[in-house]
Amino acid sequence: MSETANTANTASTANEAAAEPAEVQAPGRDASGEPGSWGARLRDAAVERWRPIALAALLLAACYAPFQLVPFRVFQLTMVLVYAVALLGLNLLVGHAGQISLGHGAFFAVGAYAAALMLDRWDVPYLLTLPVAAAVAFVLGLGLGVPAVRLHGLYLALVTLSIAVFLVPLLKRFESVTGGSMGLTLTKPAPPAWTGLAEDQWLYFLALAVAVAAFLLARNLLRSRVGRALHAVRDNEAAAEVMGVRLPFYKTLAFAWSAMFAGAAGCVYTWVIGFVSPDSFPVTLSITLLAGIVVGGLGSLSGPLLGGLFVMFVPSWSQDINKAAPGVIFGLLIIAVMYVAPTGLAGLAGRAAGRIRRTLRRE
Amino acid sequence: MSTPDDDFLVVEDLHAGYGGARVLHGVSLTVGRGEVCAILGPNGAGKTTLLRALCGMVKGRGAVRLGGTGLLGRPPDAVARLGVAHVPEGRGTFLPLTVEENLRLGAFTRRDRAAVQADLERVHGYFPVLRKRLKQQAGSLSGGEQQMLALGRALMLRPRLLLLDEPSLGLAPMVTRELFGIVRSINEEERTTVVVVEQNAHLALGIARQAHVLETGRIVLSGPAERIRADEQVARSYLGYRV
Ligand SMILES: Nc1ncnc2c1ncn2[C@@H]1O[C@H](COP(=O)(O)OP(=O)(O)OP(=O)(O)O)[C@@H](O)[C@H]1O
Ligand SMILES: [Mg+2]
Repeated sequence: MSETANTANTASTANEAAAEPAEVQAPGRDASGEPGSWGARLRDAAVERWRPIALAALLLAACYAPFQLVPFRVFQLTMVLVYAVALLGLNLLVGHAGQISLGHGAFFAVGAYAAALMLDRWDVPYLLTLPVAAAVAFVLGLGLGVPAVRLHGLYLALVTLSIAVFLVPLLKRFESVTGGSMGLTLTKPAPPAWTGLAEDQWLYFLALAVAVAAFLLARNLLRSRVGRALHAVRDNEAAAEVMGVRLPFYKTLAFAWSAMFAGAAGCVYTWVIGFVSPDSFPVTLSITLLAGIVVGGLGSLSGPLLGGLFVMFVPSWSQDINKAAPGVIFGLLIIAVMYVAPTGLAGLAGRAAGRIRRTLRRE
Repeated sequence: MSTPDDDFLVVEDLHAGYGGARVLHGVSLTVGRGEVCAILGPNGAGKTTLLRALCGMVKGRGAVRLGGTGLLGRPPDAVARLGVAHVPEGRGTFLPLTVEENLRLGAFTRRDRAAVQADLERVHGYFPVLRKRLKQQAGSLSGGEQQMLALGRALMLRPRLLLLDEPSLGLAPMVTRELFGIVRSINEEERTTVVVVEQNAHLALGIARQAHVLETGRIVLSGPAERIRADEQVARSYLGYRV
């Protein structure tokens, strides 16, 4: 637990450090009294408000991309968004509340299977499967969170890991419900005629909508009183409690929320792939997710997106580079990233952005 | 309220410890409403443990009542909701969070937003340095500033009872005097009841009405602060240093 908290702390430290100089130095520059041309003023405005501008640009690019890429690439980007949603949840738990989960793939699987069952058995309209799958994962997270909050560090890691280990045989065992090893095959959501979109593009936009909604939800959650409580728990449990933060309540809630995001991601996974089987959710999925959020950047809002890219692309690259031992390449890549960017890719990006801003201002 | 003002905080035959290690062996004391009470004693006497037992961080046997309400057996967050603010040993600062976030965490149990905002202003009034550093990480404050932050954060609860564990630890004498001045004015202006544990007996006795000397988990001496301060003999034998 203490190790996780430390990583999380350094991550948020780096981000804030990167963001700080902008506010501190701005008045000094104004005081120098140079009126500046329109171009310069525009540039200054862009430098000061780079975050919303970067976000808007990113969203614009995200809406444009599926019309420029071949369907397979669109599919890959869709999966990046799916993983990013799961990582948003894991980030709440690990990066913000300072807990650890080596079993997050299980909640992902629960969301995926919940959606699959609803679509397969009851022909539930697919949009309706999203809130239900998220709710099921939430309740399960709550149920598992209650015993989990009594555990710390390695004990918590072990228990959450065992949930992921337990899952595959369990899914195979209840064949009548889950389809056993054969899994369940479903029809993917078809694009409505008025959109004029191809199937891959439609699925992409569904995933994008869910990702944007999840991002906004996570951001608002973290800005609220609840977010403050989670940070307090992460940074100093004893002091948080003395300040009136109910530890078991907030820790359990962090588990439940992170499970909810993972469940929502699993549901979109089912829409996109149109097939679920026990072997889609091996233990390595949980470990890859945890690696993804650590590499992406704990405790930052861009970490999940960068982590999503990592989870989507790095395992398959590893496969391409060396068919015999993809795990070796995957592991080496994690080590390399952590060596170059100990606060994750988000920390690295934050430092780079800070440097660019300072250079622009100096001109 | 049925409780008279002079036993606002009542501690009766309090036993407490850590697992097998018993530290407090039957501590009894009372503190009147709006009073400052000093707890003195050598290292390892159990002063910190006493404060921890009052705020629920360690379990205790016996009785602790605040304004007639029993505190023992309640978890720390429940005790905080009853209006007990604790500045713990080591300050309990959330180092990666900003000064403002730390202060707002102090008011975590409160729902009255407007009043919290007003109290933020009030704390800035007591500690002007904090206002300048609101957006700064608490970990980057100096030791003295962190101690002010810890006290300011405790005030954000609008406590009925304020527990201070060695506020002077690691501070320059001037900063310590300033801090004690602020504790006194908080006590006078807001009638906050204060229990202060201090190594610096001189300063603590200067603001306290009653004082208790704790030794190996027992109170060995109690009395009005002036009397204990005046008694050279007491100072030598119980405090181990000149007052
Ligand atoms: N967390 C703990 N676990 C076990 N024993 C502890 C713990 N904290 C304190 N003790 C023991 O309890 C006794 C009293 O400690 P306490 O911290 O209350 O002393 P103190 O009077 O505050 O001393 P100081 O002036 O040095 O702060 C000591 O013998 C100490 O070893
Ligand atoms: Mg102590």
